[in-house]
Amino acid sequence: MVMAVIYLALLGGIYAFVFYLNHKTPLPKGCENLKSQCEGCHDLSCCNNPSHDR
Amino acid sequence: MDWSHLFVMFVTFVLINNVILNQFLGMCPFMGVSKKSSSALGMGLAVTFVIVAASLVTYGLYYVVLVPLKLEYMDLITFILVIAALVQLVEMIIKKSSPSLYKALGVYLPLITTNCVVLNVTLNNIINEFTFSEMLVYSTAIPLGFTLVIYIFSTIRERLEACETLPSWKGNPIALIVAGIMALAFSGLLGLV
Repeated sequence: MVMAVIYLALLGGIYAFVFYLNHKTPLPKGCENLKSQCEGCHDLSCCNNPSHDR
Repeated sequence: MDWSHLFVMFVTFVLINNVILNQFLGMCPFMGVSKKSSSALGMGLAVTFVIVAASLVTYGLYYVVLVPLKLEYMDLITFILVIAALVQLVEMIIKKSSPSLYKALGVYLPLITTNCVVLNVTLNNIINEFTFSEMLVYSTAIPLGFTLVIYIFSTIRERLEACETLPSWKGNPIALIVAGIMALAFSGLLGLV
């Protein structure tokens, strides 16, 4: 059980570190205000639904 | 090593048991990122990279860490975290190396995290008890099939944009009809191997 918790914490830590690195990487020029225009499935719960940008 | 078995497996998973047209997985990027062929190809390549890398890492983690520690029941949470971390890594690499590809894929990159194809491949590697070479072939064939189909579909959609269709068929309805016809065409390859 302890091993499982340590293992999970380690994996979570790696994910958090990579997420932080990605967040710190500057966006390329012209990509600062990218808007999603996905009209694939119209699922409102999806973060890529254009309704969230309005 | 049985090369003919690996070759048959490759052809089967690229063309016959195609992940989109036969297993109906990955429909979200299939419909969302197939309006332009350049975006579709970029998405396909990004998915290919993530699937191959995720398979190598999860396969290794399962047999080197989870099995010896008797933590096999944690495979699902492990694979989800590994895939999420890899997608962050891919996004970071694309941001630095190819701004044009980032512009095309930027908002869709997080979709790879929730792309069920990636989780399906990593879980199937374990469930089917694939050997290392089988895992490598399976993890390459599935995303190549995905890329092939999404690219063909995007070129058809580009041509459809220039065509006259019924107003009620414009957009997704005609795209779904095309996808259905493509699935029928690919099912004709059933007797190939």
